Amino acid sequence: MTEEPYRWLEAVGNRREYVREQLKGGSPVFAASLPDGILLLGVGGGQSKVFELFDRHALAGLGHPADIEKIRQAAIDAAHVEAFTRAPEDVSLRRLVSFGLSPQLKTNFEQIFSAPFLVELLLVEIGSAPDHDLLFRLHFDGSFQSQFGGIAIAASQPDAESAAKKWLSETAKGKGSRNEIADLLLQAWWCLIANKSFESVPSEEERRKGWRESVQEKTVELGWLSRKTPRPARYEPLTLAQLNL
Amino acid sequence: MSQTPLIAGDFLSLLNEHKLPPFRSEISASAPIETQATTVFAFHFSEGILMAGDRRATAGNVIVTDRVDKVIEIDATSLLAIAGVPATAFEMARVLQTSFEYYRRSQLQPLSLSAKVRALARLLRDNLPMTMQGVGIVVPLFAGLDHSVAPPKPQVYFYDPLGAQFQAVGYAASGSGSGTIRSILSFQEQHGKPRPSQMNLRDAIQFALRLLMTASEFDSATGGVNPATETFATIKVLRSTGVETITEQQQREFLKS
Repeated sequence: MTEEPYRWLEAVGNRREYVREQLKGGSPVFAASLPDGILLLGVGGGQSKVFELFDRHALAGLGHPADIEKIRQAAIDAAHVEAFTRAPEDVSLRRLVSFGLSPQLKTNFEQIFSAPFLVELLLVEIGSAPDHDLLFRLHFDGSFQSQFGGIAIAASQPDAESAAKKWLSETAKGKGSRNEIADLLLQAWWCLIANKSFESVPSEEERRKGWRESVQEKTVELGWLSRKTPRPARYEPLTLAQLNL
Repeated sequence: MSQTPLIAGDFLSLLNEHKLPPFRSEISASAPIETQATTVFAFHFSEGILMAGDRRATAGNVIVTDRVDKVIEIDATSLLAIAGVPATAFEMARVLQTSFEYYRRSQLQPLSLSAKVRALARLLRDNLPMTMQGVGIVVPLFAGLDHSVAPPKPQVYFYDPLGAQFQAVGYAASGSGSGTIRSILSFQEQHGKPRPSQMNLRDAIQFALRLLMTASEFDSATGGVNPATETFATIKVLRSTGVETITEQQQREFLKS
């Protein structure tokens, strides 16, 4: 039997709908470039969402734990092979995403007889200054956007994600400390999971009360890539208590 | 290489009789003189383990450099001190750094101390052909945290060139100046006040610097410490919380006090 081209297009379209549907309940993850480092934040209900990849690299993601794990392993493998073959300084996030992870995700997404990856990801690389921090937003179909510095979000709904990013970028202006930003990210997280509009956001008090109540049965994961540590491995996990939150 | 003692009728005698010596007796005249690094040591003090080394590398009677770092931070809780051929030792350190960090990141837990100690033993065993040929010999020290007890306890291990590993109770030393250092450490452990294991950080650093100064008086391959020429040691401390590097500035101040 001959498969007409439109059937392939239709199948790919169906897969996109299927993946979005599967990811709908996913808990968003955040990355914020600060003067002293990059803060990553995720709120999980029993599964990890924030990971160290290499000396200057980290990942945060939402989606199916098995798929996140596969991508995490692939990224760690590629980074360590590169570091051992050349030098740790030669491990670049741009190469890792655009030559490693993205083509693999795209290929997998378009092979309609295999299961697609159910993931939305953030990958970050710390630089010598916030302007040199590289933040990648990698989607389940392999497409990606990059930015230097600022705040990045990975959420299951594109519209809500861009609204939250716009709100966060404006609200975070003038704030540079880790605990202020972590608090703000958690407020945005609560607005996203509670389907609050970013056009008319609830009051700060309500947002803060909202995230505190919502994380009670969950685990807040914080990752910190430090710009100031003398060690090659810049990543350290943090707790809310360490940030006085 | 010294003449192999022969026993009448054994296999070596047979080879010798037929002019087939099993071990090469002379290194080729065209072979480069290999660079050697000495002297390193580690001892327990009140806060954990202090690991130190001089900074001299030699090739025969030539001083190659007085700025080599022989105490290497493998990860946040492991230290390697190298004595022997730096070319091989630095590669071993690189392999260990990559494999320990790869394991920790991929498995989301650190490698156990036993596995780290064996990983180095395996590298030494893999290096056996080079060792037997008289080039590439490495006799390292390793310090790591034992996470099986709470709080994690720093431990020191020393090796032979074939890869046998031994846990050091109080101290360990390696390299050409190690004889002097072991003698002093042994004396201090038995008769010293305070003993190395009772020293605070300041005393331990002063003691380590003086050990290297003394070793350098008896061993030309040991670089020693000389504040006048800005020549200091590489000193790292391993506590239950992790590794700390003692900078040259700190060493200068500790020597003055």
